Formats: sequence, structure tokens, C-alpha cells
Amino acid sequence: MTGQPEELFHALSDAVVGMEEDRVRELATRAVDTGIDALAAIDRGLVAGMNRAGKLFESEEYFIPELLLCSDAMYVGLDILRPHVKHDAKQIRQKVVIGVVEGDTHDIGKNLVKIMLEASGFEIVDLGRDIPAQRFVDVAVSENARVIALSTLMTTTMDAMADVIQLLQKANLRDRFKVIVGGGPISQSFADHIGADGYAAGAPAAVKLVKKLVGEAV
Amino acid sequence: MKRDRLTPIERFAAYHRGEPLDRLPCVPIVGNTAARVLGVKVSQFRGNGSLIAEAQVAAYHRFGYDVIRIFTDLYTQAEAMGAKVHYPEDETAYLAEPAITSANAIDSLRPANPYKDGNLPHHLAAMEQAFQAIGKEVPVTGALTGPFTTASFLIGTENLVRLMLKNPAAVHQLCEIAYQSALVYAEAILDTGCTPSLTDALCSTTVISPKQFKEFGQPYLQRLMDFIHGRGRTATLHICGKTAPIWEAMADTGADCLSLDNAADLEAAMLKVGHRVRLMGNVPPSEIMLQGAPVQVRKAVRACVRKAHHNPQGLVVASGCSLPVETPFANIDAMLDAVREIGWPVDDEPLEMELAT
Repeated sequence: MTGQPEELFHALSDAVVGMEEDRVRELATRAVDTGIDALAAIDRGLVAGMNRAGKLFESEEYFIPELLLCSDAMYVGLDILRPHVKHDAKQIRQKVVIGVVEGDTHDIGKNLVKIMLEASGFEIVDLGRDIPAQRFVDVAVSENARVIALSTLMTTTMDAMADVIQLLQKANLRDRFKVIVGGGPISQSFADHIGADGYAAGAPAAVKLVKKLVGEAV
Repeated sequence: MKRDRLTPIERFAAYHRGEPLDRLPCVPIVGNTAARVLGVKVSQFRGNGSLIAEAQVAAYHRFGYDVIRIFTDLYTQAEAMGAKVHYPEDETAYLAEPAITSANAIDSLRPANPYKDGNLPHHLAAMEQAFQAIGKEVPVTGALTGPFTTASFLIGTENLVRLMLKNPAAVHQLCEIAYQSALVYAEAILDTGCTPSLTDALCSTTVISPKQFKEFGQPYLQRLMDFIHGRGRTATLHICGKTAPIWEAMADTGADCLSLDNAADLEAAMLKVGHRVRLMGNVPPSEIMLQGAPVQVRKAVRACVRKAHHNPQGLVVASGCSLPVETPFANIDAMLDAVREIGWPVDDEPLEMELAT
């Protein structure tokens, strides 16, 4: 390593793909110590690595265990680099409120979507799992979010997704938010049926969907 | 609609011997929907084996399908080993908290005693009662959750999948305890007269890699299948979600029948493993059975039959997974009626013509 930023970014990206937390810690610390731009190290190192991991997941070379360990490595780097991002470089990021609907505690799918959205520059408000419909609405309003993302793995809890949309309609808030749905039993036809703005079959697809809905270039 | 001429047990026996049938076997996988047949709440099944049996037998009489499966949720074994399960008043139970939160605590776990712990005794009572009531007419199976999936409920799924890469020995230790627990439960199920029906939901390649399945899922399933075969019985293995890369490994467990989720293509499965195992599937439980209309159910059944009725080891027309509680009765009836309409022997021509249009 000669200390060139490009090399360090590449090494960071490789370390995320390689699920190497210790290596990410070492490289991120070196970036800070040598005055390399923290935002560039995040975008071109950590996020680039996470996006590569997402592609490996899509092509079924990586599975959920690998993707989770890549994200662990990414977060180690983010914790080190984020405090050093120059204040004027901090963009106002679009907010997504995400959670698993009431009656369900399966949250791996939700967590993967959260990780990939975070890696794509969105700010995530993660409500967790088994979340009452009203809470999605309340938090989306108080956080001034753009998107509400609802997840469930169970057929028994799918209807709770429709509840969120109905609550938004009743409160005349439906137009303020894009509502997306996903999870095992969910389909495009179900999303259309309950009046959601979109459905995605997996985490990488969810990122494309959110970008499309909030009008960002994919 | 044509009436059934054979009982389910006669139908399976004839199918096995290659004799003429009245229709293909058909199993809409009814779990807690049975509560709707009796008009009781799902939570009333908790701790009440007699009611589970009564509801499952009533559901069989109502719809006339080919296998009764005593099942409420996948958590019974994990619950009996210390996991916390939440029981909503009238919906399927869900995992509230795993039994342990770190690999250090694996030593504290013990295999469950099926006659004492959690709801296992009630499920065994349900199996015994249903088998006594109707076991001569229709196969009665008892749901058995696979060791890897139970392991995920014991330590939490994210913990488990991280440990697979960071501490595989701990995962094996946990799977071994879950296996020991499943083994004694399988024995108790067999002693009621029922046959275990295995589900290892988390082994799906939607979650783990084929390599990880071969390391952490398959060996324990294989030992359970060996045990069941040693008792002279055959068993079905269900894995949810995507499974195409592991069909051969699933057959290698010794399973006699693979129950496939609607994410799988029955025709591709037939070509790959149909000479080794019977296939069961795979009408979409949510999109078609819950949300669709009878006409869509009929269409989906006909597609399954067209794809896989030539399977050398046979086909059971089934839902791709357990049916959602609120599945309309009309759709379950439509599934059986579609199979009766196709009848026996299956005529390929009308099915192929539908494909063309």
C-alpha cells in the first residue's frame, strides 16, 4: 500500500466483499490518519464493496449469511469514517421508514433491504419488527420520510400492510409517502391490490424501486 | 363433479403399485385453516390436542383430501427447548424470542422430552386421537421441524447464519442438540401410529447456499430419514422458497417425497430428481389459494399436473406450502375438483392445448 487514495478505496471495497471486519477497521483508520476524504472512502470503498456483494447475492454466489457479514464489515468502516465526513459534504438524504408489520417477527429480509438502501445513500429509520400500522404512519410524519417500506414473511400478516395504506388515506396523507411492500408471500398483484406504490422481490431490486419512486437516477 | 371412488390410503396404495386410480392424490396443506372448519379460534389449539385432532379430522371430511397433517406452527420443538412463542388470539403463532442469544449458551440447552415439554404432549395427543379416529382411511402425519430450522429458532436466525461462517463447530453443536430432540420426537410420533412429515424451512437457498445446506442441513435430515425408514415408514421433506440447486441433496437425505414451494419449477424438478423421489406441489398458497378465485386455482392445478404427472415416482398435487388461515373454502374445494376433473388416466392433450393458448 503506497497510501494512494484509489488503492485504499479498492482495498476497502475488497475487504467488505471479503467479509473482513479487521481489515476494514485497519483501512478505515488509515484513511482517517492520512487525511483521505472520508466521504470518498465511504462511497468508493465501503459502499462500492457492498454493491459488489449485492451483485454476488443477485447472481447466487453469495447468500444471506455472506451478505450479512459483508454488511457487518461495512458498518465497522462507517462507524470509523462517518464522524470525519466534512459537514458541508453531508447531503440531505431521503428518508425511508422501514419495519416488519404487526404479528410477524421475521426480520432478515427487512434488514437486508435496510442495509442495501443505507449503502445506496438513503437515511433509514428502522422501526424493527411486529410494528402496529399506526406507528409506521406516525413515524413517517414525524421524520418527514419519503418512503414507507413494509415487510412480512407470513401470509397471516399480509393484511396489516393494507391497514397502513388505509390509515394514510384516512388521514389524507397518502400522497405524501411512497409505500413499498415485500416479503415471501407478497407479489406485485398483492401490491396492486392493496394500493401500494411498489413491490420488489429482493433487496437489490428494492433499492432500484425506491430510487425510481423518489425520482433518483438508477 | 365426479365422486371419489377410493379412500386416500387405497389411492396411495394403488398409485404405488401402478394400478388404475380415480384421480391423482391431492393435498391442500391445511394447517390452522382447520380452526375455521370447526368455527374455533386458532389460539384454542394451544394446549388442546383433542381440539386439534377434531378440527383436522373435520377438515378432512369437509374437503376430502389425501393426507392429514397435525400442524399448528413450526415452533413446537423450539418452544419445548426454551424458545418463547407468541400466540395471537386468532392467527398463527410466531417466535417472540429465541431460547439463547449467544453460542456460549448452547451448552445450557437440552433435547426436549416429547411427553413433558411445551406443547409437544398435546400435539402427540392430537396425532394419536386423529390416527385412532381415521388412520385406516387416510394417512395421518405429524409435523416435524428439521434440526437446522429449529436451531435458528433456538439462537435467532441472524445469529445462526453469522455463526455458520464464523464458528461452524458451534452451529454443528446446536444442530446436534436440535437433532437429538427431533429424533425422540420422531420416535414418539411413530409410536402414535402417525408418520413424521419433515419441514426444514430455513434450508432454502433463498437463505443459505447449497454448500451450507450440505454441511448443516442435509446430514441431520439424513439421520432422521434413516431412523424413519428403520421403522418401515416413508417420509416427505418440505423446504420453503428456492430449492432448485439442492434438489439432488434433498433426495440424498433419503426422503421419499419432496414437497416443493411455488418458487420451484415442478417440471425441472421432475427432470432432475423425479426418478428418485415423488414430487408434491406447488399451487401458490398466497397468490392463488388465498387471493385467487376458483377459476385461477383450477388453472394452477392443471399447470402442475401438466408439468409433472409423468414423474416416474409420482406426483401429489398440493399447495406450495401450508395454506394461510383465511384461505377461502371455495378455493380448497376448487383444488380437489380440478384434480377430480382431470381424473385418471391423465389426458395430456387438453392440458397441452391450454398451454398453447
